[in-house]
Amino acid sequence: MSAASAIARRAFADSRARNVSFTLLFALVSYANVVGYRNTYPTLKDRLGFAHAFGGNASIRLFYGEPYDLLTVGGYSAWRVGGLLSIFAAMWGLLAAVRALRAEEDAGRQELVLAGTVGRRAAYLAALAAIGAGWAALWLAIFLGLVGARLPVGGSAYLALATVAVVPVFAGIAALASQIAPTRRLALELSSGALVVALLLRVIADTSSGLGWLRWTTPLGWSEELRPFTGSHARVLLLPILAATTLLVGAGLIAFRRDVGNGLLDRSDSGPPRPRLLSSPTALALRDERGSFAGWLLGTGFFAFVIGLISKSVSSAGISGALQHRLQRLGAISITRPSGYIGLTFLFFVLAVSLFACSQIGAARREEAEERLETLFALPVDRRRWLAGRLLLASGGVAVLGLAAGVLAWVGAATQSAGVPLTSMLEAGANCLPVALLFLGVGALAFALVPRAGAGLAYGLVAVAFVWQLFGGLLGAPRWLLDLSPFQHVGLVPAQPFRGTAAAVMLALAALAALSSLWAFRRRDLTGV
Amino acid sequence: MRPALRAEGLSKSYGRTVALDALDLAVGEGEVYGYLGPNGSGKTTTIRLLLGLHRPTAGRAELFGIDAWHDAVAAHRRVAYVAGEPFLWPSLTSAETFDFLARVRGGSDAAYREQLTERFQLDDSKRVRALSKGNRQKVQLVAAFASRADLLILDEPTSGLDPLMEVAFRETVREAKERGQTIFLSSHILSEVEALCDRVGILREGRLVDEGTLTELRHLSAQTIEVTFGGPAPRLPALPGISVAVAGANALRCEVSGSIAPLLEALAEHRVLALSTREPSLEEIFLHHYERSDPRVGR
Repeated sequence: MSAASAIARRAFADSRARNVSFTLLFALVSYANVVGYRNTYPTLKDRLGFAHAFGGNASIRLFYGEPYDLLTVGGYSAWRVGGLLSIFAAMWGLLAAVRALRAEEDAGRQELVLAGTVGRRAAYLAALAAIGAGWAALWLAIFLGLVGARLPVGGSAYLALATVAVVPVFAGIAALASQIAPTRRLALELSSGALVVALLLRVIADTSSGLGWLRWTTPLGWSEELRPFTGSHARVLLLPILAATTLLVGAGLIAFRRDVGNGLLDRSDSGPPRPRLLSSPTALALRDERGSFAGWLLGTGFFAFVIGLISKSVSSAGISGALQHRLQRLGAISITRPSGYIGLTFLFFVLAVSLFACSQIGAARREEAEERLETLFALPVDRRRWLAGRLLLASGGVAVLGLAAGVLAWVGAATQSAGVPLTSMLEAGANCLPVALLFLGVGALAFALVPRAGAGLAYGLVAVAFVWQLFGGLLGAPRWLLDLSPFQHVGLVPAQPFRGTAAAVMLALAALAALSSLWAFRRRDLTGV
Repeated sequence: MRPALRAEGLSKSYGRTVALDALDLAVGEGEVYGYLGPNGSGKTTTIRLLLGLHRPTAGRAELFGIDAWHDAVAAHRRVAYVAGEPFLWPSLTSAETFDFLARVRGGSDAAYREQLTERFQLDDSKRVRALSKGNRQKVQLVAAFASRADLLILDEPTSGLDPLMEVAFRETVREAKERGQTIFLSSHILSEVEALCDRVGILREGRLVDEGTLTELRHLSAQTIEVTFGGPAPRLPALPGISVAVAGANALRCEVSGSIAPLLEALAEHRVLALSTREPSLEEIFLHHYERSDPRVGR
């Protein structure tokens, strides 16, 4: 048993960077929401006004889910903390499971483990134990954040539980994907696809009248139906327990039977040469990345299409001018037309495209970590040119993703005659680019300066900037501090005008960061794992 | 002889660890140079500096007179490299890998590549991710030799190869040598170096401790003298430059570096039946350098 516990501890230690950043994020968000609400809406009158504004406002629900009670601090926190963090918790669950159950195998380390005295069952359970430990840390982070902000202990514990209840389910989904897919990458893509669908179902359920029952079809909806601070339907816990058990046991049964190193999906291990896209390192990068790019395109495109589709039916709640100001403090805008709804929603796509940019930094780093760059740079290949090629490729991907989201949202809206012109949707798509390119440039600089931590830093910056934009205002942070988040400077096109100056500044910073990254990358040692 | 490869005071530290300490090295065009050293002695560091993959802390490295760090791209035009770890692009087949590397290099000898693919018995329609380590190593070797580059830098190129492939490798190196190509062969397979190399450098803890042709190394290094006595082997007094080991009931094996005279004087008092001396193998020269002194005192 000590061998298995050594594996579990190793797996837990391997993911410490991710665990620490998620834990901090969770604690901060939990604490900030409660305190922020208390400060911003101290009296019942304030809260009534707020509830009226948000009660029927579908666009806000998109981020946070269905609100059940906005008049108490607990009810509000359940909505904001649970609604947002359950998405992040799901993401954590699938990252952790793919890492423990496929990435190790993909890298060939699992063979080493199984060649020892550890059986497959013990190794699988050890991996799950490591995920379980991280899961407990996330629960604790939310709990402490809420209790620290003086919410009742019992209710806080339950809200924290409801929020992280999605973790085992998505870990289970990723565990299953890890059995099906032969590579880390495909496993990640399959399980991310499941998360996109789950999120989409929740969004539709929370924003479309008459479709509330859809909440029962998605694990993210179950978290809402647990109703922390608003009635506590603890029996709903049976759903995630059942789903997670089925998925994890099923994945385990497959894991015990299949060949180590392979997945259920067969991969073709030989074939005639296909000479396309082999002419240069950049061409090869395109060849390697196109599959994963197709995944991103499919995910964001599908999401955008559905957003367009429902943009008309999400009705406009009348919002008084007095409340307008408060809404703006929350990063919201008045939603009286489909274009307003889409405008707010597109902040999601700014985030998604920025994450894509980070994934490209990660892909570049893997070329270095797996020592392919040694082979490449021993040829007459200029390092700066290589990195510039990859950054251009990533920029192209960012542009295509953003514009595709715009076009597909327009297609969805057009089928409902929502009256949103194509030009403004193209503008909304293009509006995603400056922020994403800024993160691409900064990510590249991080990669050039601190190779091992570069991609992680890029993801971390995106997450912090996004969360800060959502919550910084609630905490009463001064303007200049809020303005540090690039998301703060995104006009909610098409509802708001495009902010040209801000975009130009971000693009200039992006270019500066990218150029510095070329300079720094040329001057450093290549660094392995 | 114009050097194809030159290092001058080449040093590299990673934090406090000195990986390479003021290396001076020149490999002439057409020469096959064996670079010997145990794991962690700085062989791969040297190669990374020679290729401009890592930046020297001090000194400089040149390939065909071009600075390896400041002008890496130009320096690589006439160079092919086989990395110690055969990481390649997993999604490409071997044929696609050859195609890609040849295009990035700007040409390769296709007919010779065919010949090498056959010689190394490589199925070039298989994807790299499905290949064993040895087979991935073959992919690297075929790509490097088919490039007909003037200088081949090989980092432990035969690790993972079976004995048959080792033979194929030696044949290929000899062909390259006949064509006048220069080869820098980092290895710890001594028989391979002994069979292929014109000159050998021995690296120890980041310093070049010995260098020369095999004959020179043998001359400078210890020779082994086996002494058989007409009775139990006596205990010899401590002698300068001579280490003595028991080799059977009536025999001693003496490693002599330097003059043989003190040993002969010491032996004169005993009944010696037979005295045999032989040249040290490369292995003995190599081991000699690593056993000679305590590494912690040695620097």
